[in-house]
Amino acid sequence: MSIVSLALGGAAGGICRYLLGLKVTKIVSNPPFPVSMLFVNLLGAFGLGLFYGSYYGKVPSHAYDDSIFLMIGIGFFGAFTTFSTFSVETVQLIREKSYRKMLAYVGISAFGTVGLFTVGLLAGTFLFK
Amino acid sequence: MKAINLISIAFGAIAGTYARYLLNLSLLYTGYPIGTVIENLLGSFILGLLTGFFVWKKPKEWIKLGLGVGVCGGFTTYSTFAGDVISLTQHHLFWGAIYVIVSLVGGILLALAGYLCGEAAGGNLVKVHEVK
Repeated sequence: MSIVSLALGGAAGGICRYLLGLKVTKIVSNPPFPVSMLFVNLLGAFGLGLFYGSYYGKVPSHAYDDSIFLMIGIGFFGAFTTFSTFSVETVQLIREKSYRKMLAYVGISAFGTVGLFTVGLLAGTFLFK
Repeated sequence: MKAINLISIAFGAIAGTYARYLLNLSLLYTGYPIGTVIENLLGSFILGLLTGFFVWKKPKEWIKLGLGVGVCGGFTTYSTFAGDVISLTQHHLFWGAIYVIVSLVGGILLALAGYLCGEAAGGNLVKVHEVK
């Protein structure tokens, strides 16, 4: 059962990331730095926080036997957000010698995801528990 | 929007997600989110490698999307990174800071190393073909 949950969540997460990325690229022309994956990662971190808050009321520590956790947490939000594209896009900014943009991109990604995850977690706990 | 691109991304993401799950599961006993760190570092290296290699040899769109967006995107994760940072810093501030620094600096350096390796390998391959 766990593999079905993971596959459904993972496939949906990957496709949503791709489609949303294309959409953001279309809306924001000439962005100062790679905004499409930044937007996806911020949204996904908020979503995972909201899921954890509303379903567990906290960050779960041992939930690997729960197929809802596998489908939504590991599968969907895990695959929806991406770290590899973040790293490679940062490298591209370094290679262009856009060091300020690079620092802004890394800073907003890291602090933004942690911050929005927390907001999601608190909102989920407050609203649903 | 080609169907083959979406199918390729879906299967790539399933493979990446399942590999991430297995690695996380095998490292649960440590009590620390080491799995996610390894996945994000390794995935950054592999995507760097592919990006560098594809500068020289352009693959079909669906192959590129399946491997990059699908496999690497599914294998690495930013949402769990954020979740791990919060759960770590609640109990061990020190390990939370180490987790962030290793993930960010390591991921970027490994993506750079991967890119340079991929670019060199792709360049050599193209030269070998030209000689022949």
